[in-house]
Amino acid sequence: MARALGALVALALLGGLLAGLASGERSQRGNLIVSLDGGLSPLRLPRQRPAPVAVHLEGGLRTADGSLLPRVTRIELGLPGQGILSTRGLPVCPRRRLLNTKRPEALTTCGPALIGHGRLEAEVVVPHQAPFTIEARLLAFNGRFDGARAVLLHATADNPPISVVLPFRIRSGGGRLGTVLIGDLPRALGPLPHFAGFEMTLSRHYSYRGESRSYLSASCPIPPRLTAGFFSFARVDLTLADGRRIGTGIVRGCRAR
Amino acid sequence: MNATRRKVRRRAAIGIALFGAALLIVAAAASAAEAPTRDEYVSGLERICKPDAEATQRAMKGARGDIRAERLAVAAEKFAAATSIFGSTLKQIVAAPRPPVDAAKLGKWFGYLKAQESYLRQITAQLRADHAIQAQRLTARFIHNGNLANNVTLAFGFDYCSFKFSRYG
Repeated sequence: MARALGALVALALLGGLLAGLASGERSQRGNLIVSLDGGLSPLRLPRQRPAPVAVHLEGGLRTADGSLLPRVTRIELGLPGQGILSTRGLPVCPRRRLLNTKRPEALTTCGPALIGHGRLEAEVVVPHQAPFTIEARLLAFNGRFDGARAVLLHATADNPPISVVLPFRIRSGGGRLGTVLIGDLPRALGPLPHFAGFEMTLSRHYSYRGESRSYLSASCPIPPRLTAGFFSFARVDLTLADGRRIGTGIVRGCRAR
Repeated sequence: MNATRRKVRRRAAIGIALFGAALLIVAAAASAAEAPTRDEYVSGLERICKPDAEATQRAMKGARGDIRAERLAVAAEKFAAATSIFGSTLKQIVAAPRPPVDAAKLGKWFGYLKAQESYLRQITAQLRADHAIQAQRLTARFIHNGNLANNVTLAFGFDYCSFKFSRYG
């Protein structure tokens, strides 16, 4: 029962985040509208060498006519190719330590591996009942999943009390979006929670062997004559239970210092 | 005699009026028959936009790298080619019959698209004149305007006819 609730919460978290997002760039396929917004902080970056940055992303899924959301089975988040994701020397949090934990316990157990935070929303569809929304708070930890680097999203909600861990594999790819976070929403979550929205900030400064490091770094590689540049900043792609895919990308700028 | 003439004139006037009304009804019916549904309109436009979007992507290949390497003249020619493709696409899609219910939305969309064409032309001119900063400012407006255009036609679900920054180098 607790596990099922946890799954509900996790889905709810995912759904809510998406649903709450109405700003940013949007794309519509049929009745479904997906949105994505976000940015880099700081905006002013060195031209040649990467500097520590925080990445904020928020996205949502909604229907044009307010009807029920379809079930999302996979979320893919693409991050810009010129960004660097470094986990060297960063503690790793084993997934099992996060399972069935509340937020304070998760922070106590895996605090050194913390890399971000956010929130997740899901629409919970229970047969013969009006759907309701679950909002969950997210903690993001540096972890591993299936032998590869991953972001472990620890989602918790108070009402109903839920704790779920959603692993997002980190895949390096070619193209403009060099890093992709792939999260498969486990079947264990059940058919009830429908992902609606998310909001997430990834940022972590840490020391390793006396050297100051950052989980995420980026530069603004533009020629000296220009003061700003534009790049494909992020992309979200959602795979639905019926196999359809919907996604959108956003373009953002950086300023050179 | 006068009364008979008046009667004939009145009948003629009524006849002309009825004929005119019939013509209007026939014209309206013909126009309604010609007007596509939204789905037909979208698929018709996508057929026009697809080859042009692909041609734009080919024409703009490497433009970002050219600007980064300060080869502004080379980038300018790529933008010129993209402008020409965009202009030709716009001419074709403007001429396509529109669904009457979407006329206002599409009118607004075409306004944004005309602004896009103008921005592309201005970016080309500034790059040719070696004015990098002006080209940079116009690019920001071009991206913003493209997003506004996409928002207007969100419900249409355009793919090739929507603005995608990734097509521009």
